[in-house]
Amino acid sequence: MRRKASLILLALAVFFAALSPLLRWYAFPRLAKIPAGQYQDMVLEAKDATLLDYGTMRARKVPKVTIVQTLKGNVEESEKIEKTAGKDVVVWDGLSYVVGPDGKMVSRIPERYIFDAHTQEPVHATGETVDGDPVKRQGIEFKWPFLTEKRDYEYFDAQTRTSAPIHYKGTQDFRGVEVYYFEQTIPWTEVRFPKAMPVEGITPESVAKTGTTRWYTTVRKFWVEPLTGAPVYGEEIHKEELRGGTLLGDRDKVTAFAGHVKMREDYIDHTVDLVKSNRTLVLLMTSYLPWGFLVLGVLLLSLSLYLEARGRRPGDPKPAQDTEPEPVTA
Amino acid sequence: MRALIAAATGLALAFALVLAITAMGAPTGKTSPEPLLTTVPAHP
Repeated sequence: MRRKASLILLALAVFFAALSPLLRWYAFPRLAKIPAGQYQDMVLEAKDATLLDYGTMRARKVPKVTIVQTLKGNVEESEKIEKTAGKDVVVWDGLSYVVGPDGKMVSRIPERYIFDAHTQEPVHATGETVDGDPVKRQGIEFKWPFLTEKRDYEYFDAQTRTSAPIHYKGTQDFRGVEVYYFEQTIPWTEVRFPKAMPVEGITPESVAKTGTTRWYTTVRKFWVEPLTGAPVYGEEIHKEELRGGTLLGDRDKVTAFAGHVKMREDYIDHTVDLVKSNRTLVLLMTSYLPWGFLVLGVLLLSLSLYLEARGRRPGDPKPAQDTEPEPVTA
Repeated sequence: MRALIAAATGLALAFALVLAITAMGAPTGKTSPEPLLTTVPAHP
């Protein structure tokens, strides 16, 4: 009976000891993925910003400019692309909608971002666009990969339609969460006018005819929770100018927008709570369960060996034929 | 020999469980009916 129990314990010990690395290095990379149907919104604000009044073509100070960013997982499109890509794909249809202090639209930039659900590597397929223009992204956008590393990443900038390094600048504590701080600077670059302009009758084509060009620079800052790869906070020091052309009269340039864009407080709290709960799930798969199973395996193996040893100890009665004394003859 | 069989059984069960879980995967879900926002939401 003792022998049988030790064999069962041995089988369980091997089961749990094997489960530990299998869970961490086989199951986790396959199970950790962005859900295809995820929907999320974010509100960012630039207080005391500078905004161009298209009526007078003069920059003016405004109390607040709000950016509403929505990302919506398109499940039907992701299933279509998965058939040819041969991997789990996420298609995010996004909209960055900028609202002025009067509640009117300043700009709206739609985009479609297609990426690998597990690694966040971009997937190139028809429909990958920014403001209706086809693009071919390199690197990441919006989210970092699971188990983010302390290194620079290529980050896609939707305004310039190019990717540039976003630098790892250190580890910090953000509201009780350990985060990696990343920063990217986009130098003054000429960019396209948005397809939807804030004033009716003005189109990117009509502005282009005047010879006026649009320039942009930004310092992009992200605080990223490394296990989930999710940014818990973001800021941007963003400036836009119109330069040259007949639209500006005798001026060389005019500020179209300048502001320090920050996440709205209630969205920070919401994001931190969400990331904390997702972080626990990742920890369960990468740390708690693998280590727990390993310890359990070792304990079960010890118990199995102990029972086996007790079953064989010298004091125990042995089978009758072994203990019967040899006849002694004189 | 019996110990070897017990260990092999444990190993095979671990592989079978992990392979079954990863093969099942997670449900894909549906596209949200919520629109892309063009107004400022009051709260998350």
